[in-house]
Amino acid sequence: METDRIIDNNLQNETEDDRSELVQVISGLWNKFISNPIHWKILRIVLVCTIVVFVTFFTFSWIVFIVPALQESGWNKNYKYENLAEIKKDQAYKKLIGQMGRDSKNLIRKFTSYTSGQSYLVINTIDNRFLLYQNKKLVREGSCSTGSYTRLTNSEGSRHWIFKTPKGRFLIQQKITSPLWVRPDWSFVEEGLPIPAPNDESRFEYGVLGDYAMSLGDGYLIHGTIYKRLLGMPVTHGCVRLNDEDLDAIYHTMNIGSKVYIF
Amino acid sequence: MEDIESKNGPSTLKMVLFITGALLILFLVYYLVMGLLSPSRKLAEINQEYGYKDSEKSKIDERFLNDSAFIAINREKSFYQARVNMAESDSICLALNLPDSTAFLEINGVTVHKIKLSEIKVSKVLRNADEYAITSMLSVPFIIEDDLSTIRKEPVMIKIAPKDTSEYKPDILPDTTRSEPVNYIIYLMGGIRLYIYQNTNDLEKGRFSVFTFDLNNKLRDVIGNLRSMVGFKVPEYHPYIRLRMQKSDARILYRALPKHGMISVFR
Repeated sequence: METDRIIDNNLQNETEDDRSELVQVISGLWNKFISNPIHWKILRIVLVCTIVVFVTFFTFSWIVFIVPALQESGWNKNYKYENLAEIKKDQAYKKLIGQMGRDSKNLIRKFTSYTSGQSYLVINTIDNRFLLYQNKKLVREGSCSTGSYTRLTNSEGSRHWIFKTPKGRFLIQQKITSPLWVRPDWSFVEEGLPIPAPNDESRFEYGVLGDYAMSLGDGYLIHGTIYKRLLGMPVTHGCVRLNDEDLDAIYHTMNIGSKVYIF
Repeated sequence: MEDIESKNGPSTLKMVLFITGALLILFLVYYLVMGLLSPSRKLAEINQEYGYKDSEKSKIDERFLNDSAFIAINREKSFYQARVNMAESDSICLALNLPDSTAFLEINGVTVHKIKLSEIKVSKVLRNADEYAITSMLSVPFIIEDDLSTIRKEPVMIKIAPKDTSEYKPDILPDTTRSEPVNYIIYLMGGIRLYIYQNTNDLEKGRFSVFTFDLNNKLRDVIGNLRSMVGFKVPEYHPYIRLRMQKSDARILYRALPKHGMISVFR
């Protein structure tokens, strides 16, 4: 027992000696370090820089992140909904709820009536897709090509055209079989050709618009194409191009006056 | 001489540091107080403008205003009222159904595109304000005032026509890789903001783009706040709705909505 205690005491003394030696070494190194004025200066600069960086970072975080986060906290007042039995029996309440219910149903009825039971076409110019609806059901979907968003300027810089498909609601104004393409001025300008007279035969081209075309007004058509590998890409001059099978299906589903929604 | 300098130097430095520190703390506290006042002020404005007033034609017993059945019907009525208003215009509009996590692009009341929202976060002012006031506010569609986006609304390409056929080159196919991140803010009338972010679970790059976009926007806000605070005015608080969706849907929504389009919200 006694021997054990002596050994313990010796061990403790040795550890304390080790510690005091380590402290002495560190404090010696430290004293040596700060006794050199250059070292002391470097240490001060490092300290000041650390403080400046910390303060800047804290200020930045405070105004950019912390205050906006605090603005959103502390709103613990959750709105309290009540279901008081006493007001349910109130005649005024019954009348009010009845009236509001009728108003709401009328609005829903009015809103749903905007969607026609007849066939209509939706064209997505961003993804170059089309959706054909009949009796409020989707009956066909596929790829199409729409406006390229190219702004063409003639070489003199005097005339400009922008090739984009218009957005909004349109009506089929005309249905054409074996359409003839009357080449507009831009078609010649973009190929570096001289612009011919309005009735010049070089303006008329058969077969390039497919078997059918449907007019949306202002010269915009839904038609076929000979550039089928470009379907699904925005490459047209504003018209909507479809492949032969889709064009056939849409032509035979849509009537004059049918709606076309383009977004 | 050196002794005098070394004695004066640190004391002056200490004084400068102390004053700078005190001013900085004062500024931070001032910024916090003004920042915390702004949501309450916005809330008061909303309540003042849209809250229930005794002078209204059809007087309602105020106990009814907190009734769950009344609230449910009023919310539905208000949403459809806004959608009918939008349908009567010819423009492309957006209807947000937050409980169903869906958004609808509509033209004349016809849904042309449906979007699934993967994340929704609504400003606490909009969640905790007076129910009647918020529902009244939402019964009229919001009109878009401006936007800030990482993508262009119309990706117009400029092309100069060749002088003759020898210079003519067929069109190069458009780039369809669509690598650019899609994040944007739509500023609505009444100071409300609609934040739309692409989903970021797949791409680290996408996450970083959201962070930088958000930081840029926050810095703009800080500049605005500081301007107000210099004149001792409470800065404007902007209630928000943050939505996350597929990148393709975010692009469609941004490019389809007109510059001053309309948005209705059901919550």
